[in-house]
Amino acid sequence: MRTGIIFLLLCCSLNATDCEPSQLTEKERLAKFQELDRQAQSAFEQNQYSAAAKYYREAACVAPKSARAFYGLGTAEAAAGNFSAARQAFETADALLPDNMLPLTMLVRVNVAMKDIERTKEVLRAAAKRFPNSPDLHAGLAWFLAESQLLDLALAESLRAGDSGATGAESLVALAALENTVGAFHDAIQTARAVENDPHAPEAIKASASGVAGLSYESIGQRQEAIEHLKLAIERAPAQENSYLALAFIYEKAHEFGEAVEILERARARMAGSGALLLALGNNLVWAGEYQRGEQVLNEFLQKNPGAAEAYVRLAEAYRNTNRTALEIDALQKLARVKPDYPMVHVLTAEAMLRVDPVDYNAVLQELAKAEKVAPNDADIFYLRGKVYLATNRLSEAVTALKRSIDLRPTEVRPYYQLGLTYRKLGKADLAKEILQRVEFLKQQPGER
Amino acid sequence: MTRRDFMFLAGACSLRAQAPEVSEPRNLSFPLQSIEGLLTPPDLFFVRDHFHEPDVSLRTWRLRIEGRVARPVELSFADLVESPTRKLEAVLECAGNAAGGSAVSNAMWEGVPLANLLRDAGLAQDAETVVLEGADSGRLMDNSPVLPYCQVVPVAKCMREESMVAFKLNDRFLPRKNGFPARALFPGWYAMDSVKWLRRIIVLGANERAADFEASGMNKVYNRVVAAAGGERKVTRLSEIAVKSTIAWPADKAKLPAARHLLRGFAWAGGRRIRTIEVSQDGGRAWSPASLEGPSKPFTWVRWRYLWDAKPGEHVLLSRATDESGRQQPLARDPARKDGYELNFCAAVRCWVA
Repeated sequence: MRTGIIFLLLCCSLNATDCEPSQLTEKERLAKFQELDRQAQSAFEQNQYSAAAKYYREAACVAPKSARAFYGLGTAEAAAGNFSAARQAFETADALLPDNMLPLTMLVRVNVAMKDIERTKEVLRAAAKRFPNSPDLHAGLAWFLAESQLLDLALAESLRAGDSGATGAESLVALAALENTVGAFHDAIQTARAVENDPHAPEAIKASASGVAGLSYESIGQRQEAIEHLKLAIERAPAQENSYLALAFIYEKAHEFGEAVEILERARARMAGSGALLLALGNNLVWAGEYQRGEQVLNEFLQKNPGAAEAYVRLAEAYRNTNRTALEIDALQKLARVKPDYPMVHVLTAEAMLRVDPVDYNAVLQELAKAEKVAPNDADIFYLRGKVYLATNRLSEAVTALKRSIDLRPTEVRPYYQLGLTYRKLGKADLAKEILQRVEFLKQQPGER
Repeated sequence: MTRRDFMFLAGACSLRAQAPEVSEPRNLSFPLQSIEGLLTPPDLFFVRDHFHEPDVSLRTWRLRIEGRVARPVELSFADLVESPTRKLEAVLECAGNAAGGSAVSNAMWEGVPLANLLRDAGLAQDAETVVLEGADSGRLMDNSPVLPYCQVVPVAKCMREESMVAFKLNDRFLPRKNGFPARALFPGWYAMDSVKWLRRIIVLGANERAADFEASGMNKVYNRVVAAAGGERKVTRLSEIAVKSTIAWPADKAKLPAARHLLRGFAWAGGRRIRTIEVSQDGGRAWSPASLEGPSKPFTWVRWRYLWDAKPGEHVLLSRATDESGRQQPLARDPARKDGYELNFCAAVRCWVA
């Protein structure tokens, strides 16, 4: 290192415009550089990044061809949040030491921090060109980019790692996961299966590979293979909740709720505290018609996650299916509180209110007024309002509301029926007959077109 | 009917369905009424294949650029992803899409400008055309050899800023059926030139012939054939998408209640904007203006709507688009046309209202 620094100092010439002219001898410059470098490191270790940057800047003036000074300066500036200055310093370090991959790695990090994707790509292309046979560099970049949610670039670097000779099971499973995430399912399956069949791969890595293969098979519609691989993933790593959730989801999609419940119960026995498992289990219990158990699980989930809208929706569904309308309304009102923009929550509440005996028509109208504020052109609002007006003998208002509903959705049969009844009540027999004939006509047509 | 006549009459899209021995290429399209917003979801994107979908892997896929270039290159998928890209919303329409047909889709594409790739490879001054070759192959005609799918596109179109090697559709990597991992994309042109599963780009000079293009018989399809005086036939290559609109709702033969219905549809005109849409309820005698749901832009389509006060009876609905250059959809197919492409005449939708 000492020899390197001496070499750098010997060949240096001062170019930086913000450096004071120096009359130091070579020996004095070396001593000065070492002192500044020591001070900079000390400041950095004490989290005094601006001070560290100042020392490194001075060091760069003393030795303007020292990659070490510029690399240190870039690190200190980046730590201080001065990304633009950090980038400039790393670019200089990279130009001074083109055979070293560290400045390029740091340039990727700084450009990502600056959300400058084009510059990030530029650096990655340079890295590919200059270090084509460095699997560790590309695998490391892939991890960093994946952590930064730049999945396309992470995939690209993962592919480069493979091209440059990375053969480890861990790298391959990371590649498979990325391929699956970006929708390259056939590739993901191929890569994951190679890991599954690798006799030297650790069991935990194989479990991840089985999970990825399962997810990819599911995405291309090969359900049976998906189930087999996810079961294998569970067998290999029984404490990984994702495999259980993915397998349950496959059953759920096929409306095989009993199977989903069985898998999720197994998972819950191992990971009692998992909120994701509880919610999925509660949902599937309700869909399987096991309302009481479903309610227990969902309420247990809500105790820890009171803002989870989906749980209220499912509870409302459970109460609706068991004719407990008051509880359904309560769940929907809680839903409206935690997620006021939940689609149709007020319409659903109004519908539930209309099933209570006796109906509080004013409360229903108030609920519909709330719904109209959110979605002024929702045909259901006017249909329900028409129903309320008909039931309360506000017949001309019923006609107006139901006509509006028909205007908004002319192929929906229910408002025609209510309108026919309203005309009948108004004594307009011909109009009632015409509208009710249209009801019969619509009933013969396929659903909403 | 001779084989040659058949080639002229049929759109190549339907031609493949007549030749199952070649393979069973995919032929999928979906009613446009299922589309919400402007972008076609990938699972509703139309597919017209000539040959079997190839098995392409990200790890082994390479795109070679060769021919009249100073520096032939081979690009990996990582090279593409890490190149500067551009995004563009554009329609792809099968050249043989029927009037009122749904072999048309619209997506937000992302890819590397083809001009950049050609420039980086050192495009020769005298380059004139570009052969684009896919990884799919087969026998296009009964008596042609097994060859890769390929098309020839003028360099001038390749160098336009909208032309690209696309690898994303609606912010996701291309699905397999749409050309994974990368395809050519020529916005404003019929879809056959936007070669899927792209693997080779060969730049040709003025006097060079695209051997596979001719040997496969691809040069005999996707041509505009117009009968001229004296029994002559004028043949020109298809390229730009013609102005067209379609009624997405209601469907043909729909039965509707008498009420005010919102007719909905799409209109597009290749690289030009749509200026107006009109709707006729009586088979084209009278026309009323429809509303565009947003500003029309080049390359993409625009949604339109028309509030129709449907009275009882039978109705023949038509929509007619006019683009910014004044080109208008014809009411009927030009009788001089002897091919099965550019079917952009107004398509009738019959409705019974009770």
